[in-house]
Amino acid sequence: MDRNRLHNQVASMRRSLFDQGYLDDQFIQLEELQDDTNPNFVQEVVTLFYNDSTRLIQNIEQALNSRPIDFCKLDDYMHQFKGSSSSIGAKKVTNECTAFREYCNAENAEGCIRSFQQVKQEHAILKRKLEVYLQTVTSFSNSMSCMETILSYIAYTIISSSLYIENMDKYGKLFGTTPQTELGVDKCLTTL
Amino acid sequence: MELMKSSDNIIQDRTQQQHKQEPEMQAQEGQQEQGHHFHVLAVDDSVIDRKLLEKLLKVSSYQVTCVDSGDKALEYLGLLNNLDSDSTASSSSPSSSSSSSSSSSNSSSCSQSSQREGLKVNLIMTDFCMPGMSGYDLLKRLKGSSWKDVPVVVMSSENVPSRISIRCLEGGAEEFMLKPLQLSDLEKIEAYLLKSLHLSCTNIDKDDDDNNADHNSDNNNDKVVNNDSNIDKGNNSTSMNNNFSKRKALSSEDTESRRPKIKGLAVAI
Repeated sequence: MDRNRLHNQVASMRRSLFDQGYLDDQFIQLEELQDDTNPNFVQEVVTLFYNDSTRLIQNIEQALNSRPIDFCKLDDYMHQFKGSSSSIGAKKVTNECTAFREYCNAENAEGCIRSFQQVKQEHAILKRKLEVYLQTVTSFSNSMSCMETILSYIAYTIISSSLYIENMDKYGKLFGTTPQTELGVDKCLTTL
Repeated sequence: MELMKSSDNIIQDRTQQQHKQEPEMQAQEGQQEQGHHFHVLAVDDSVIDRKLLEKLLKVSSYQVTCVDSGDKALEYLGLLNNLDSDSTASSSSPSSSSSSSSSSSNSSSCSQSSQREGLKVNLIMTDFCMPGMSGYDLLKRLKGSSWKDVPVVVMSSENVPSRISIRCLEGGAEEFMLKPLQLSDLEKIEAYLLKSLHLSCTNIDKDDDDNNADHNSDNNNDKVVNNDSNIDKGNNSTSMNNNFSKRKALSSEDTESRRPKIKGLAVAI
């Protein structure tokens, strides 16, 4: 069944994101905070992170391109970046941020520039992986809710039909019945 | 649904537009009258951390107001143009806050509600590292104001807790927490909220602010002594627990007798 395939896909994608060190426990915390009142919480936080971090990346680029380099400002930006990425559980991104800050503290411009390439790379890789993963999750929950809708429609139909059939004799007296109708009613009752 | 909607609106407006304060204030106060939930003021410059904290607190059934800076927090509490602390703040804040703080400075009732009519904040959680006014500066301002009895929790993502945490705890913070926060961390703050509720009830009963302030500072001194050996989060949380259990021993009867009552309130709503 499509749903099972999707479910397996979601589970294995999630497992590999953790196993390969892209995500850590904090991401689980985000998932735990998601509930019926806020079913898109994880997606919202991830989107918020990527909007916010894109802005920070631009600021850091600018700071790295300016001469002389303001290491204090750089550290500031990276502190924010690291804070956000650790808040969503982006493990590899956070680690690269830590490495960057070490070069920054040592005022090693070249080290900073190289390290920043790593930060951007991990940031982009995670973005792609999360996009695919969350899309699969959405497909799966949509298929689930689709199924639920179909099932609940069927249930509704059964219940309302059986209610109608139970009261068929009353309706019959109102509208008048023929032998064929009564036969049909019996057939319905036995089927259900 | 309406309660949640209006609180969401408050959070958005507060971070985006300063000038729509008054109608929001009324909506917030209306909410507080309807619910007996603890009200937490969260201060953090990071939009992601604000969202996370807001969700953590809401899931734990607390009412939340989020602001993105220390200045906005003081503004919310009506302290920006206050007459209590020695502030040299500019007169550029909206007229509503100055008029309410001047009118309410004459009141002599419970300290927590003196600044704005009916505004009740049970706990303030603030980030340490913020541009402009840091969490530590905010802490000092709060402890020097009429909101000094409200417990303050300081958070930081920095991994050098001894320097920051000791400073904050000496400054009057109840607790120092490492980010990113998790649900397990929120269990600790429940104790501070209950304590604040106990204190405010005591204020109403005895009308004796001085005694409670001494009680508060005694607790803080105990905590500072116990925290000298902290280095990492593990030690922090262990000693925090020790401190909590010590404080619990000090006022165990009162809190325990009140605890079922409070939980009952929370469940009823």
